[in-house]
Amino acid sequence: MQTTKSKPRVKRKKGISYAKWGYLFILPFFLAYCIFSLAPQVLTIYNSFFENYREGLMQVGPKFVGLQNYVKLFTPDKNGSISILKFAANTMVMWVEGAVPQVLIALLLSVFFTSYRLKIRGQQFFKTVIYMPNLIMASAFSMLFFTLFSNVGPVNQLIMYFGWSEEVIPFFDKQVTVRGLVATMNFLMWFGNTTILLMAGIMGIDQTLFEAANLDGANSLQVFFKVTLPLLMPVLVYTIITALIGGLQMFDVPQVLTNGAGTPNRSSTTLIMYLNNFLKTSKNYGMAGAVSVIIFVITGLLSILVFKSLTKDDD
Amino acid sequence: MKKALSMILVLVMVTAMFAGCGSAKPAETTAKPAETTAAPAETTAAPAETTEAPVAEYPEGKVFNIYAWNEEFKGFFEKYYTVPEGVTVNWIITPSDGGAYQEKLDQALLAQEGASDDDKVDLFLAEADYITKYTNSPLTQDITKLGVTDFSNTYAYTVQCASDGEGVVKGVSFQCCPSALIYRRSIAKDVLGTDDPAEVQAALSDWSKFNDVAAQAKAKGYYMTSSEAETYRVFSNNAAEAWVDADNNLQIPEAIKTWMAQAKEYTDNGYTLTCDIWSEECTAQMFAEGKTMCFFGPAWYYNFCMGNAQDPEKGCYGDWAICEGPQAHFWGGTWLLAPVGTDNPTMVAEIMNQFINDEETCSNLVKNEMQFSNNQAVNAKFANDPDFGNAFLGGQNDTALYCELSKNIVFENHTHYDQVINEKLQACWREYCDGEVTEDQALANFYALINENYPTIVTP
Amino acid sequence: MRTNSSDSRKAKAMLTMSRIVVYAILVFLSVLCLFSFYMLIINSTRSNADLQGGFKILPQGNFLENLKNAWNDSSINIPRGMANSFLVALCTSVLTTYFSSLTAYGLYAYDFKLRKIATTFILAVMVIPKQVSASGFVQICFKYGLTDSYIPLILPGIAAPIVFFYMLQYMKSVLPMEIVDAARVDGSGEFATFNRIVLPMIKPAVAVQMIFSFVESWNNYFLPALLLNKAEMKTVPIMIAQLRSADYSKFDLGKVYMFILLAILPVLCVYIFLSRFIIKGVTAGSVKG
Repeated sequence: MQTTKSKPRVKRKKGISYAKWGYLFILPFFLAYCIFSLAPQVLTIYNSFFENYREGLMQVGPKFVGLQNYVKLFTPDKNGSISILKFAANTMVMWVEGAVPQVLIALLLSVFFTSYRLKIRGQQFFKTVIYMPNLIMASAFSMLFFTLFSNVGPVNQLIMYFGWSEEVIPFFDKQVTVRGLVATMNFLMWFGNTTILLMAGIMGIDQTLFEAANLDGANSLQVFFKVTLPLLMPVLVYTIITALIGGLQMFDVPQVLTNGAGTPNRSSTTLIMYLNNFLKTSKNYGMAGAVSVIIFVITGLLSILVFKSLTKDDD
Repeated sequence: MKKALSMILVLVMVTAMFAGCGSAKPAETTAKPAETTAAPAETTAAPAETTEAPVAEYPEGKVFNIYAWNEEFKGFFEKYYTVPEGVTVNWIITPSDGGAYQEKLDQALLAQEGASDDDKVDLFLAEADYITKYTNSPLTQDITKLGVTDFSNTYAYTVQCASDGEGVVKGVSFQCCPSALIYRRSIAKDVLGTDDPAEVQAALSDWSKFNDVAAQAKAKGYYMTSSEAETYRVFSNNAAEAWVDADNNLQIPEAIKTWMAQAKEYTDNGYTLTCDIWSEECTAQMFAEGKTMCFFGPAWYYNFCMGNAQDPEKGCYGDWAICEGPQAHFWGGTWLLAPVGTDNPTMVAEIMNQFINDEETCSNLVKNEMQFSNNQAVNAKFANDPDFGNAFLGGQNDTALYCELSKNIVFENHTHYDQVINEKLQACWREYCDGEVTEDQALANFYALINENYPTIVTP
Repeated sequence: MRTNSSDSRKAKAMLTMSRIVVYAILVFLSVLCLFSFYMLIINSTRSNADLQGGFKILPQGNFLENLKNAWNDSSINIPRGMANSFLVALCTSVLTTYFSSLTAYGLYAYDFKLRKIATTFILAVMVIPKQVSASGFVQICFKYGLTDSYIPLILPGIAAPIVFFYMLQYMKSVLPMEIVDAARVDGSGEFATFNRIVLPMIKPAVAVQMIFSFVESWNNYFLPALLLNKAEMKTVPIMIAQLRSADYSKFDLGKVYMFILLAILPVLCVYIFLSRFIIKGVTAGSVKG
């Protein structure tokens, strides 16, 4: 370290170039990335142009087939529906149902917690509790939800007991309720996480700005919209984009909740569940590669859209 | 170094010859089942002889790797099998969750050729639902060549199940899983006026009688089955065609079509609930307050999966009995398969022989482990024992019935696609039965799922 | 004067009102969050047979029995599994947060030719779904004999695009370059500046991401299940899956719930410990400000 540090000092003239430090600091990341992620990812994209699967224990391919896998993905079935579009729509609907309340409530809570006026007591308790659902493994959490809402579960027992419904409500047979449950679970698991991220963001804002705003007689709403929100924007953008990325990769919750079937009528089948179907039995790297490229494209486009619409100025 | 290596090589070859001699023994005894129990003892003697060789070490691989998805067989193995001195048994247990077991096993089998001796798979376990994938693969080997040749006491279907398309046997099962119709005595009495297994069987001996009784049960306020999928295995086990034809076109076997019609009819008529057979809703029907008359399952089913029926407060212990039902079938079972490239062929053969032919081991499985063993002579011994009865079944000697049932089981027209196809069809068809989707949509979903799972199958 | 006091009274009433609303919301959400834990605790006190027969609202008497069974299970070694998981999760979270911060700082504070490209690259790869590269990753691990090793579970943590992105966004909002320049004037080396000045300034973000990456690693099932063979190397989620897929004679749902409950305790401790740290970091910052 010493020698590398002394060198630029000797050579330094007027404008010091710190560029090499930049390279040095990002080097470990890129090294690790290339070794552990890039290689498999390049392999994925490469695979999408090949026929490559297992028939039983026998390897078929890899054989170059050009865009054939993509063509297959977008070929409509007899009833004229294209699976991948249907599952993309499912994923988006379930994500929006969970993510909109997730971000709104998290924003609200993080403002509550950081508010000097409200001075909420038991903050530590509430902060701990709202994050707790994230500590349970998604599969265990889904297991609990499944027992709660099954046809003989406590929720149905309550409904029957109070006579709210003539018959048992089959929560896992109806599109609305299955999607609702998935969204609720995702909300419960992630709103605490988002709250903490946003809180850390708000806490990073220079506190004198709030004090100044208060002295100027701004009310809470004004402070929020004029001070907090603009300064929180970078973190908020981060939150929304990562929620979007996470949402498009939604898998565990609907998978375990519907026993891997994405029922009813495949309306809770997400893109990754679709991808998983290709990989699980036949190790169909060709089709799975094509699906993941599509997911990549969708996520990329949506992320850029969010990023552009929420950040006005750019460095 | 090289010298040592060539020494070891020579040693291995010599001992392999010894092993060959040892394992030739059981072949001679094939015709005489009475003597077979002695055979494994002789095979175990083979490695013992080799200890007299110049170097007193175990002649084959020192590490024996067994791949499994749970601890069931490990328990039996550790209790009843004596591992030769100098060999370490290494259990690689991966839960089946999300296909992890097959994933890991396949990975290891495909890397078998290049793996070092201590890393080679020496034995692995597989279930009936996907065993064809392994038996039809060149990665498993003919166990008759290893010295497992006596199948005179095993049930034919367990051998069929472990054989490839040409009839080459690749493994054995330590259990036999004939499945019976399990009925509630009290409900049978109410519906049929009797709970005697023979009379109940007479009333349910074919599907049209079964349908008639379903209507009678419904009239009295009962369900015939707790799930429309309850009868699925009875049909699928007896299908006359495979799921795919010679050109890999998907075809729905006639037997399955019959089930599909039955499932819809039973749902519409209210003869059954619609739910997964493992669901809480289904198992809740096993409580005393349950309204379901019939379940289908082998011995392990009521021993381990009917906990609700055995519940001291809400259960109905003893209010059950079994009979054959409309058609013979089986359910489940675990097979031991021999991979190509094992460096412990003698030990593989020894284990397999012991768990199918050693009378003491098989008796222990029946007596101590509540298994229905894969040894007809041993099972017959318990079937003919007048004191042997199951209190859960009101004292019925179930082993006796299973002995009868197991004679009629066939394992035919199976493909390595079966597990996934059966699962997907049941799930998609349930939605149609429930009225969630049209028949057309249910089939479209089914075909789409098949295409996702198997790129080579051509769907209509 | 009068109007002022009535105004302040009004304001006070408003404040009380909004406090009531806020507390109501918090309590409602907390109940929702705690309910699953309540169920978990109740279920860990029930026997297997009892669990098969539906839901109960009150604890049953099987807690110690389940604990004993889980603890004594011959196929799993709970303390060992927890120690393994802890080691992996701790190393992963430390590497992830440290190197993500370092990378973010490298791209935030320095101007160099490839900066923009490097930033865009990381942001682009962030959106690649993990699941597919995971199966390729496993293939590569098998090829290079990286099974039964914690290396493929820990080292990839160095390159975590999502954590990097957070750190970058956070630095954008809290780290003025003037501070870095001031440190340079004081003669601080670049590396020392990062460790001694920048890291403490972004402490809340580091703590937050450490919690998240710790939890993620702790609950990771997919990769460890495929890569770890040896019983003594297995992590908690594999052991839970093993209990859940136990054969019929040994299957004990009570044991499963007990283990899930036990598995949450360490992460809960880490969380409580680190969240204190967040508060401290922030109060320290505000005192300075």
